[in-house]
Amino acid sequence: MSPVARDRGLSAGVMALEDGARVDFGRLRHARRARVLGAMKDRDLDAVMLGGVGNVRYVSGARSLGRAGVLPFAPVAVVVRATGRVHLLSTWDEGVPPEIDRDCLYGLTWNPANLMASVAAIPGVGRSGRIGTDGLTPMFAEMLSSALPSAEIVDAAALLASVRRTKIDDEITCIDVAAAIAESALSALEDALAPGVTERELLGLYYERICDRGTPVAPSESVCFASESTGPVTFRYLASDRPIREGELVILAPSALYAGYQAGLARTRVAGGAATPAAVRLTDRCARSMDALLDACRAGNTGADLYRAWQDADNGEPPVPLAHGLGLGAEAPLIGLGRGRDATLEEGMVLSVQSWVTEDGVGGCLERSTVRIEAGGPSAITRYGRLS
Amino acid sequence: MRAQRYGRLQEQLDVHGVDGLVLLASASVAYAAGVDEPARDGDTAALFRTVVVVARGDDAPHVFTSLADGFPAELPDDHRHGPLFPDLDDGIGEFAAALGAHFPHGSRIGVDDQTHSMLRALREFTWIDASPVLGAAKVTKTPDEVACIRRAQRINELAMADVLGILRPGMRQVDLSAKFLRRIFELGACANGIDPIWQVMAPHRDLGPWTLHGGLAYPTVTTDRFLREGDVIWVDSGITWQGYASDYGRTWITSVDPTPNAQQQAHFRRWRSVVDAALEILRPGVSGGELGRAAIEANGGTRPWIEHFYLAHGVGTESAEMPLIGTDLGDQFDEQLIIAPGMVIVFEPVIFEDGAAGYRSEDIVAVTDTGWVKLSGSTYEPYGVPA
Repeated sequence: MSPVARDRGLSAGVMALEDGARVDFGRLRHARRARVLGAMKDRDLDAVMLGGVGNVRYVSGARSLGRAGVLPFAPVAVVVRATGRVHLLSTWDEGVPPEIDRDCLYGLTWNPANLMASVAAIPGVGRSGRIGTDGLTPMFAEMLSSALPSAEIVDAAALLASVRRTKIDDEITCIDVAAAIAESALSALEDALAPGVTERELLGLYYERICDRGTPVAPSESVCFASESTGPVTFRYLASDRPIREGELVILAPSALYAGYQAGLARTRVAGGAATPAAVRLTDRCARSMDALLDACRAGNTGADLYRAWQDADNGEPPVPLAHGLGLGAEAPLIGLGRGRDATLEEGMVLSVQSWVTEDGVGGCLERSTVRIEAGGPSAITRYGRLS
Repeated sequence: MRAQRYGRLQEQLDVHGVDGLVLLASASVAYAAGVDEPARDGDTAALFRTVVVVARGDDAPHVFTSLADGFPAELPDDHRHGPLFPDLDDGIGEFAAALGAHFPHGSRIGVDDQTHSMLRALREFTWIDASPVLGAAKVTKTPDEVACIRRAQRINELAMADVLGILRPGMRQVDLSAKFLRRIFELGACANGIDPIWQVMAPHRDLGPWTLHGGLAYPTVTTDRFLREGDVIWVDSGITWQGYASDYGRTWITSVDPTPNAQQQAHFRRWRSVVDAALEILRPGVSGGELGRAAIEANGGTRPWIEHFYLAHGVGTESAEMPLIGTDLGDQFDEQLIIAPGMVIVFEPVIFEDGAAGYRSEDIVAVTDTGWVKLSGSTYEPYGVPA
């Protein structure tokens, strides 16, 4: 008997299998928690209070309600080093993993004073000398110092970023499943792309497909846009009502989440007829630049190597990142937009890498992939035919 | 609308003696600058967040974003900037420089969210909570804001009517999400704000999720759970239009014949009478406490809302914002909350009778100079008759 299925592809499904194949979420949560507790010990933190969506998911593994946008900091999950326990802001136990006992839940409240009282009453918090948070507001800073006057409040965002940076096998499997869902959405978008369809309709079809696959929360609603075939070309984020015209280069860029883990990809297609020679030249340049970027995604390289690869492929700095980390949503490092030259790539990181090139009067071309950095080099997690 | 909102913020900066605002969270960014952003989840939204800086006395907000198509049309060129990354140490110098261009050392700056990177890099300012300034500006809506909420609500309701049309035994929760999320974009939504909720209500409290307070759990997260004959589901969805949230809540019955039985109709009638009792006295000058007491009295002396929620909440660039009525902010808070023209209020009482699953819907009204106007539709299929 083989302890692990040799064909990893078996894991690319969302249904539980009776033999227990696919992701062992209990093992995944245990491994993540152990990493966090280990890092807390290394950094001498007695407790961490987390509000970031990815951080809360990382330490708790709870299925929380998907909400769009950035919310101000609040302590949604608390990890206490002395007890090794994770405490969670949840009034009920549905969606909460079994290792988080009911006595580790604290309730939803509209009154910050009540929330602070709940958090301060968590066993071990009161005796904590150093407490890390992944954000603050002036109100919570003041309430923490008055409820826990002897505690020093320090940065825990860096700690969480460091443990999340490289991915363990179960995390890669989750990203694999997300990749397969995103690919499925790309197929739906390709099938529907024709002159006359609008970006809004394509966005609706994207949602219909990811929901049908069982994963209704979108990492981003920036899913597609037709690039301008006259004048300067803009990378657009908002879906429009304008019917897509024949011959336009259309960017299809779906992503998906599975158990909180994100993957995405992008391809550019011509609406309707065949690509013009100028469009073919542009897509060739996009692919060449993408290959150059991917080739630079090696352990030990830095962001500067990606910048160099991009420039050596005859490109100016684009208005979008060249690459950023992926895991429970977008993560550091961010390479591009002037950031990340010094960021070092490590084996086990997962990156979203993208090549965006434009030519006035022709349009824009985007290729995006989710890749894992392995010992021997980059390995594509997303798979899809490149160019039409 | 954007000019009026910005004017209100400037007024409140004067009132509170604050030198400016640095805004990092989506709801306040939308309010202060009218930046049109695609919905993004969790950490993706955070890493690529738009930052808005409002300096007291300045004519317009400064917007820092990577979204080239999100700037409001009238924003002057010198107020449009590339992105800042307050979540990263890498580049926090640019963040500090951008703020330093508008605020001298020692400035008192209101902020809605902070990262440790920015706290380390910007020790020269006195940071205070932005919520008193934002809250005072946001709590009453201009006619244009009310129109945006009405539009968002209309799109939300039309999409939900189509979802109700496909509800049959054997559909999964995610199938309802699929229909809804496709329709909202066809109907003109700008973004989806929240994973739509299709919670199956256990008829007995003991058969539903365990809760800290012993009351109902709501809302639980959508999965691929099958909806089966007789399942009573409490649905809730929120889409946005031009940054404004909507809030649709209803009770549906999964069945080949979803006709409510007499007990279920009685629950609906009681829900209606609770909302009507509150609406009967709703006008400028009434207190949140009075509204709460009217609702309790109409429910025979029992509090008709979920322990961890409220009788009513406001809606604006957040799906739940002030005025909140009936929360754990307490009775005194409710008594001091005085209803004013321009407030938008979502009433969402809950009727639950052990053994029968109960009834929950949401009615949205805007408070006028003399009373209120309804912003949400007045049908409650498969229950009742139009209100």
